[in-house]
Amino acid sequence: MRLAVRFTKGAPVRFVSHLDVQRLFQRAFRRAKLPLAYSQGFNPHPLVSFATALSVGMISMGEYLDVTLTEYMPPESFIDAVSTVLPKGIEIVEAFDMGESRKSLTSAMRSASYMAEVKFEKSVDADAVKSALNELLSGEIVVMKKTKGGIKPTDIRPMVISVDVCEVEGQRAEIKLKGVLSAEGGLNPDMFLKELYNKLGVQASADITRLEIEMDRTAL
Amino acid sequence: MNISKLNSILNDVEKPTRYTGGELNMRVKDLNMPDGTPRFRFALCFPDVYEIGMSHLGQRIVYNILNEREDTYCERVYAPWFDMEQALRDNDLPIYTLETKTPVGEFDIVGFSLLYEMCYTNILTVLDLAGIPLRAADRSESDPLIIAGGPCVCNPEPIADIMDVLVFGDGEEVMDELMDAYSEWKKSGTSKKELLRRLSRVSGLYVPSFYKAEYDENGNFSSLNGIEPDAPEKVERRIVKNLDAAKYTGKLVVPYMSIVHDRVALEVFRGCTRGCRFCQAGFIYRPIREREVETVIKQADDSLDCTGYDEISVFSLSSGDYSHIHELVPIILERYEKDRVSVSLPSLRIDSFLKDDLEKIQKVRKTGLTFAPEAGTQRLRDVINKGVSEEDLLRSVHDAFVAGWHGVKLYFMIGLPTETDEDVLGIAELARKVSREFYSMPKELRGKGLRCTVSASTLVPKPFTPFQWEPQISVDEVLRRQALLRGALKGIRGVEFSCHFSETSRLEAAFARGDRRLSEVLISAYKNGARLDSWDEHFKKEAWENAFAENGLTVEQFANRKIGLDEPLAWGHMDAVVSMDYLKREHERACAALITHDCRKGCNGCFGARSAQICGKKEGTK
Repeated sequence: MRLAVRFTKGAPVRFVSHLDVQRLFQRAFRRAKLPLAYSQGFNPHPLVSFATALSVGMISMGEYLDVTLTEYMPPESFIDAVSTVLPKGIEIVEAFDMGESRKSLTSAMRSASYMAEVKFEKSVDADAVKSALNELLSGEIVVMKKTKGGIKPTDIRPMVISVDVCEVEGQRAEIKLKGVLSAEGGLNPDMFLKELYNKLGVQASADITRLEIEMDRTAL
Repeated sequence: MNISKLNSILNDVEKPTRYTGGELNMRVKDLNMPDGTPRFRFALCFPDVYEIGMSHLGQRIVYNILNEREDTYCERVYAPWFDMEQALRDNDLPIYTLETKTPVGEFDIVGFSLLYEMCYTNILTVLDLAGIPLRAADRSESDPLIIAGGPCVCNPEPIADIMDVLVFGDGEEVMDELMDAYSEWKKSGTSKKELLRRLSRVSGLYVPSFYKAEYDENGNFSSLNGIEPDAPEKVERRIVKNLDAAKYTGKLVVPYMSIVHDRVALEVFRGCTRGCRFCQAGFIYRPIREREVETVIKQADDSLDCTGYDEISVFSLSSGDYSHIHELVPIILERYEKDRVSVSLPSLRIDSFLKDDLEKIQKVRKTGLTFAPEAGTQRLRDVINKGVSEEDLLRSVHDAFVAGWHGVKLYFMIGLPTETDEDVLGIAELARKVSREFYSMPKELRGKGLRCTVSASTLVPKPFTPFQWEPQISVDEVLRRQALLRGALKGIRGVEFSCHFSETSRLEAAFARGDRRLSEVLISAYKNGARLDSWDEHFKKEAWENAFAENGLTVEQFANRKIGLDEPLAWGHMDAVVSMDYLKREHERACAALITHDCRKGCNGCFGARSAQICGKKEGTK
């Protein structure tokens, strides 16, 4: 059976790379003694795939993976078995049977929401932030993006779905961001925010949490 | 610790999980015991980067033993990579432990593992970043107690001025005794000097500041004299008699990033009975002590269960010599086959190698094969007491080729005592025979193309080996012999040569046999920018050259000097239990190219008068 799993990646493991998260789950599944299905071939590995990667340093409230088992296991039992063997910072919040579907979770991704806690180098005014944002969103947002063919100017405006400035206080601001995330790629929230800082003319850095990946489960 | 500042640093450094901790099975303890008394805080430091330090079995054992104590909380710290050191300095942050992010300077005890000489500057990096004075003499009552253990303690003199206490021998027993003594002292409310006095009375502990070194008119070490009334004349190496009953690693901490030995290590025995004369480990871990098969299997079960690892490595100085190896390997293979656990058997000797074993290993995963004949001619192999013949090697490689292997590595050393050009050329001859062995097999029986790597390192004479009196050959001579070998290997089908004589081999030789004056050299080198010296690409030659010059010393006077058999040795006060008389006898036999048989075939009396007491044998008996 194939199980889809939604999990969190919290502060204690925020610096663990995507590759290491993959290994972390493989080991956790082994500790939980799950009936794992393995790939064929010279170097068989457990059939576990991730919907998408998360940038190193980012926290997430909901990442997705799927795992193939050789026998049926109720999703609740799966959660119970794995939860006890996971390191601090990783938590399974949901698991569901993918049935006969052979589609990847990646193909069902549509968008993702982020919360950025921005720290500016000096105090900023809420109105200034909002007007900089409106100005930024009113036209193309061209950034230099690494692609297969080298570094190219790319307009990321179409990737931005919505931006809310929730709170601005002194040097801090909370900005909620929703962007496209699909098999073809997605919005890099850090890159977008850098454009905002530029527009505002203030240096800043942000602590970003991925709040949610919106999945079209009917597409699975 | 300023966590938000730390997080912003971690966003920018390479491999941040070297510095984050929080791994599965990391020990988490309250800073106080249930009754409210604070626990002793022990910072266990492996002075190299995380992925190397985390791979070290001894440190994992000590981590477990200390944390099993109710009164102690042991945390880990590793040497920072260049970028992290710089980031800590730029942000004015101290080096901290992974478990609780506590600055190292706030600990009661900081303990270093000394596995190789070239990690010494990393000790200084850690002390410096912790705000702890580098020299023991400059530290105050409030500074942590700085201690070190590990094989380099055989000759602790090069770090004598830096360490408060050195721990000689197996940590399993002595660490508990050290903590007990520390606890008693803490209750007494007396000075640090009194702590050192108490510790110097524990067998296996050495307090260097209780001794003063003298040098002769030629600038050579002449004697080490006690300057404290109670300072023992000799410091005896501690030996865990019953390894089977000794504590092991407990729940293994599972790293996030991949580390050098990313698998379960099963130590099947400690010590080695072979007596290869260049091998320090072969002498300083005597006598041989084995674990029972059941104990090993239990440890394998527990370790796999708590880690989820899919690989086991059978660990010892010479796995084929484990008396139950042919019982153990099939059991492990069968037991974990369904869980897809692979088994690796490093350190197999050519002569103990069996075809059956090969096939079994292959069943799970085909890893590279390494053979270590060490010398190119039978005469020189007899000098070093490497009881391996050309027939042994050729038979083993033949078996390996038949079993489908086509990649083998051959390890040799150059600069061995009595080595001539004929011996060096003998290496090429041996490689030629290996190549012939491969290509003379019918095509359908062998793999596609031979990949035979010949690698030649340079001998570093080490204390407590029969070669401890011998010089390392000069740099010019190393380069000449390498060129000779490279030329002779040219054109041999399927054979490639890999050798690097690094400057670090010279320094290693100087520090292996050096004396107390090297402590200042070390501090100078650190101040000149030497860091992470075992990483060749970052080695700073000038930093070291200047450091020796600033202190009026040379590398050569330590690395390249032949010491007379009756001269005092800088490490003469350390008693590795193997007797000096035995080492002298072995030195003589080496010069005469006489082999000494494996002590399983009969006791050679290496512990002298203490043989019966140490391993229950008498010279000449089995």
